[in-house]
Amino acid sequence: MVVDIDEKSLKHGVLGLVIALVEIIRDAIKLQAIKRMEGGSLTEEEMERLGQALMDLDTAIEEIKEEQGIVECVRSVRDGLDEVVDSVLDKMINP
Amino acid sequence: MQHSDKTSTASTTGVVVAEEGKYLYCVADAGERVSLGRIGIEGHEVYTIPYRDICAVVHNCPAQPYQSDDQEVVKAWVTSHQKVVDAIWERWGTVLPLSFDTIIKGELEKSAEQNMKDWLKQEYERFKGKIEKLRGKAEYGVQVFWDPKLVAQNLTQTSPEIRNLDEEIRTKPKGLAYMYRQRLENLVKREIESKADECFKDFYGRIREHTDDIRVEKTKKVEPSLSMIMNLSCLVYRDTYSKLGEELDKINRMKGFSVRFTGPWPPYSFVGGA
Repeated sequence: MVVDIDEKSLKHGVLGLVIALVEIIRDAIKLQAIKRMEGGSLTEEEMERLGQALMDLDTAIEEIKEEQGIVECVRSVRDGLDEVVDSVLDKMINP
Repeated sequence: MQHSDKTSTASTTGVVVAEEGKYLYCVADAGERVSLGRIGIEGHEVYTIPYRDICAVVHNCPAQPYQSDDQEVVKAWVTSHQKVVDAIWERWGTVLPLSFDTIIKGELEKSAEQNMKDWLKQEYERFKGKIEKLRGKAEYGVQVFWDPKLVAQNLTQTSPEIRNLDEEIRTKPKGLAYMYRQRLENLVKREIESKADECFKDFYGRIREHTDDIRVEKTKKVEPSLSMIMNLSCLVYRDTYSKLGEELDKINRMKGFSVRFTGPWPPYSFVGGA
């Protein structure tokens, strides 16, 4: 993963990184939410509120990405992280 | 064999001595000493160093690895390397290709050529074994792709669990619908993965029948609308590869699937650190 640090793209890079992290945290929360939903520990009302909140978060993140023109940047950060995780897992499975 | 770094050593007096080396392209199934002309990297003359009935294909170079920060330069070197291996392969039919930047250097008491001969001598049995295994065969690349959207669509139609969930979502208020949709997406993803697994096993079995050996390579991301579900290097008899082609054609005709069949190549993937 390459985070390009020239002056003009520094802001972009940092913002992309931050949003990528926010997305990853959101994905983790989502996963937890779905697990609880499937486990039956949430009431209808709780699920509705959770769904609303996550949906708003999705919208907010998409808007920020569009406004700041960092859609590509976020994607490349996430792809880069995926590759890192992939190769670590690969080494663990096939030592 | 020297691969990088310490290709020129400092003598005891601290003076760096430039040493001679032999850049190695491949080991070939021929025992003659011939020049192949100036077809090498940067136009170097390529020739063979024989030992018994095999030979090393080389050019003379300083005992230093080829290194550059310029991607284009490196690409040109690697392309020349492959072209030489191809030419040798055309000429003698069976080669053990080496990877780019393999250089054998001379030592104080021994010339690079002598070192090369000793190496051939030492590894002779292993090389002969590999040459026998590869004789008359070529490497083919097989990559199978599918369109994940089309597969997901099919699943929605065929899996009752997914269809029910899909219908349920339409009746829910916004927040709940969102949660259910996330669940649906996860479900579809899991189904797609198990389907990919199933296809892999099926195709692998069918391809295996028409090949002498298979290496499973990592799948690569190409584009979002086309996802690679298998990436194989296959060792195939040159005169029966059409059977493999026919089998692949059947897969290619399946809806949502496509196959990329490339080759013949020199058997790069089946030499295993010659």
